[in-house]
Amino acid sequence: MSQVLHPIEKKIINALKETEKLNIEELEQKTDLSSDQVRRGIEWLKLKELADVIESQETKHNLSSSGSEVLKSGLPERKLVHLLKEGPKSFDEAKQSLSESDFHAAVSNAKRNDWITIDKDDSTTKISLKVQDPPQSAEEKVLQEINQGNFDQNALYHDKSQHEKLVGYFRLKKLGLIEEIVKKSKTISLTEKAKDIDTSQTDLAEIDVVASVPATFVARAHPLKEVINEIREIFASLGFTEVLGNFTQPSFWNFDALFTPQDHPAREMQDTFYIKDSVADKIASPNQIKQVSKSHKLGWRYNWSIEEAKKMVLRTHTTCVTIKYLADQKPDEARIFSLGRVFRNEKVSYKHLAEFNQVEGIVVGKDVTLRDLMGLQQEFYRKMGLPKVKFWPTFFPYTEPSLQSMVYNERLGKWVELFGMGIFRPEVTKPLGITKPVLAWGGGIERIAMLKYGLDDVREFYNNNLGWLRTAIQCQ
Amino acid sequence: MPVVTLYLDRLQRLVGKTSKEKIISAIPFLGLDIEEQTNQYIRVEYSPNRPDYATDFGIAAGLQGLLGIKKGVVKLDVKRGPYQLKADQSVKKIRPYVTAIVAKNGNLDDETIRQLITLQEDLHFGIGRNRKKSSIGIHDLDKIEFPIRYTTAAKEHRFIPLGSETEKSISEILENTEVGIQYGKLLENAESVPIILDAKGNTISFPPIINSALTTVSTSTKNILVEVTATDKNTAEDTLSVVAATLQNAGFLLTSVQISGANNTTPSLKTKKMSLGVELANKILGLKTSSSVILAALKKCRLDALPKRNSISCTIPRFRFDILGPMDLIEEVALGYGIENLKPTLPQSSAVGQKNIVTKQLDLLSKIMVGLGFTEALNSSLVSKNIQYGMTNRDSFGFIQVVESKSQEHTILRDMLLPSLLDTLSRNVHEQYPQKLFEIGTVFSADDTIKEELSLCCISAHKDANYSEIKSILQSTLKTGFNIECETKTSTHFCFAKGKTADVIAKNSKVGAIGEIDPAIVENFKLRMPVVAFEIKLSGLIFN
Repeated sequence: MSQVLHPIEKKIINALKETEKLNIEELEQKTDLSSDQVRRGIEWLKLKELADVIESQETKHNLSSSGSEVLKSGLPERKLVHLLKEGPKSFDEAKQSLSESDFHAAVSNAKRNDWITIDKDDSTTKISLKVQDPPQSAEEKVLQEINQGNFDQNALYHDKSQHEKLVGYFRLKKLGLIEEIVKKSKTISLTEKAKDIDTSQTDLAEIDVVASVPATFVARAHPLKEVINEIREIFASLGFTEVLGNFTQPSFWNFDALFTPQDHPAREMQDTFYIKDSVADKIASPNQIKQVSKSHKLGWRYNWSIEEAKKMVLRTHTTCVTIKYLADQKPDEARIFSLGRVFRNEKVSYKHLAEFNQVEGIVVGKDVTLRDLMGLQQEFYRKMGLPKVKFWPTFFPYTEPSLQSMVYNERLGKWVELFGMGIFRPEVTKPLGITKPVLAWGGGIERIAMLKYGLDDVREFYNNNLGWLRTAIQCQ
Repeated sequence: MPVVTLYLDRLQRLVGKTSKEKIISAIPFLGLDIEEQTNQYIRVEYSPNRPDYATDFGIAAGLQGLLGIKKGVVKLDVKRGPYQLKADQSVKKIRPYVTAIVAKNGNLDDETIRQLITLQEDLHFGIGRNRKKSSIGIHDLDKIEFPIRYTTAAKEHRFIPLGSETEKSISEILENTEVGIQYGKLLENAESVPIILDAKGNTISFPPIINSALTTVSTSTKNILVEVTATDKNTAEDTLSVVAATLQNAGFLLTSVQISGANNTTPSLKTKKMSLGVELANKILGLKTSSSVILAALKKCRLDALPKRNSISCTIPRFRFDILGPMDLIEEVALGYGIENLKPTLPQSSAVGQKNIVTKQLDLLSKIMVGLGFTEALNSSLVSKNIQYGMTNRDSFGFIQVVESKSQEHTILRDMLLPSLLDTLSRNVHEQYPQKLFEIGTVFSADDTIKEELSLCCISAHKDANYSEIKSILQSTLKTGFNIECETKTSTHFCFAKGKTADVIAKNSKVGAIGEIDPAIVENFKLRMPVVAFEIKLSGLIFN
């Protein structure tokens, strides 16, 4: 019979031909393979029905540290015997020589062994030896055998004459003098089929092409980063240029410049991360500050405070980056985008993160329209592989009109809300000297990435679970 | 965002001649998100700029427009009444503005009362800014003797508050009741508090905390008094207008209350006029449509509109205070025209787009790390103090903290990436080794201002991990990617073992650290393998 065998398998077969039954450790020694290799080899042989594996359990006994001491100094009853060899003793005398606890054990065990007699008269109780040199007790025999390594507990169960020794064994165990160690082992032997194999005759040029192999994991960029990169590429391909900005921002650019009143709930600590004891030094040009302040006073009728605008926050959207770019550059025509982390003081759950990625695209131009904004969305989603898109009205504080886009997800079988969009309100653009209409659109990236990777829990992206990072399918 | 429950039978009755299916499919086109849908009811989320959608009465009015059942403005029809409310000078310092209206001859069933309570709560939370800016009291008119007085009272003043059976003093309410504790701080420990008393001296309300039990509204109430107190006059009238419109939609007849004293006046709930250019509307929406089409669209949004040369004169009800200017009207045109009728167009552009140079460099770096066999991890910028400082055995000072984070895992901004990656290893001890990871991210440091820099951290854990391996990776990364030579110079670092760590020197300055992780830290993270790592700042090295 021709059988393709791995060198590991051959070594194991050869060893078992020499010695019929071996355990793993013995196989390691005989074959010079690592324990991992032996285990793998055995698994393969088992699958090919060339090896039998019998799992067995072996109980070994050792003396505990107190057991070893007792072996040297003798059990309490033996100590008592030595004492009585000098002649009969009263209880008090014996107690003095032995310790209190030893004394009680010594008397009751010696009595059971029939080594001593106790005589009571009116005043005293005398203990004396029955035999001058009592033989080894069952306990002592067990201790000795364990120490010598020839104790066989199983034999005791099967031999009625050994009953006393078994009782002695349990007593010693209860006293904590002996320890029981259970060792599981596998005994490997060859099957009949394997015995016929001539390992020297199997073709050395052949290898087992069917056998399973250990997994290799490819190193890779993070799956979310791949989606982010894809989105960046799509924006660039649509003519958008990327602008970057800091994660930490003065409230001015994150809120005030976007016409969010200073008492708006979104600005409260329960929604926004404020940085402790951090105030921006210079937030904007004097004119920008003046105009924004004026627009707030006029539009929201309250006393706008520059101190509030100076408070540093972790940006809650990337719009703070794009609005600052527009306010500083005042382009008549532009296509820009900003992508990066944003922060919300939210309880983290399967659908909310405190820190996530957002992308925002901006189009400035004298003739841009709401329909253009819808068209850009549709094109973006088409490029992302999401062809079914519809639009619904919605509300955003700094755009008017505002829409939200819904895309159809085949896996979930339903419409999913994705990016929001709108045209910047004049209350936002006018004070900053932006005169042309500004289309803005964007949203969270993790939502899209969840659709792409079929995830239902957004936290998976930041768990860094290697099991997932190493196996998430790259081409979705 | 606030959510309102709409019972479909009731909503259909309010809307009139149409089917439930039509109602449900029209709902999103009012800007309402359906959160939950059953056979009996739907729960929808509405935008805080449309508090008139806090009840089914307001939503029904919107649907009537969109479905073409009723169009144009719902005018508030206020009859002149004999009722008087006078404010004392003393309220000026504490809560200066008051306004009110009476609604008569209506019917309140349980569901209507529930809708009114939701409206009240949402108004308190939204434009009322958690009752700070404005708060509402709704009372049984027939329990009240006019004229009524808005004044202040000392903390010993006693009355039976809503939900109680016995009299309580103002102090007791502020100290011992849930609403008192929650909203008492709005009164900023003033010695006397705002109070509304009727002609007999009965307490009607203790704004913005609680109403009296005396005027509690029930299903047998036929006539209602609504009062609003506020820190801003306009907000007071905005708030009142929404409640008034809702009560009128619910079948009540509005009757005015004459208000005077301490700069307060009888509210004017009149419509306002605004002009919209036809050309502007077409330009923004990308349409070429006639003024009559725009007119019809506005009317479907429950506004009135008349052509006036090249523009349209719009009439806007008082409660639509979300309409500030022409752009808001254009949104109404879009809704009335039908978002589904706006066909997307792709604007042409000659602009050449590109990624930021920093982004490009980071992409390149990421590719190099992957090529060297390292897998990318992503961690938060906001980290836990324990992992960043405690687990790495270093004193915690100088860190940048955020205020009142809802999560212990996210309280400080990280100053280096390495602790998070050690944590990542710690959570993957059951996975196959070698484990080689890298992360590129922003790290933060505070001087006078907060500095943000990009950093690269690289970590390797396996039974043979050693210093030479990671140094080789570091050199290869900088040389292949950026043609930068780097040296390592003996040093010490809290993260690395003594005698097995070095400073990384490139372009004549220290850019980071490299070494074998200190065994005590390896132990802290319960790692059972040797771990080596380096972390270098990229800002200043590969970017300027």
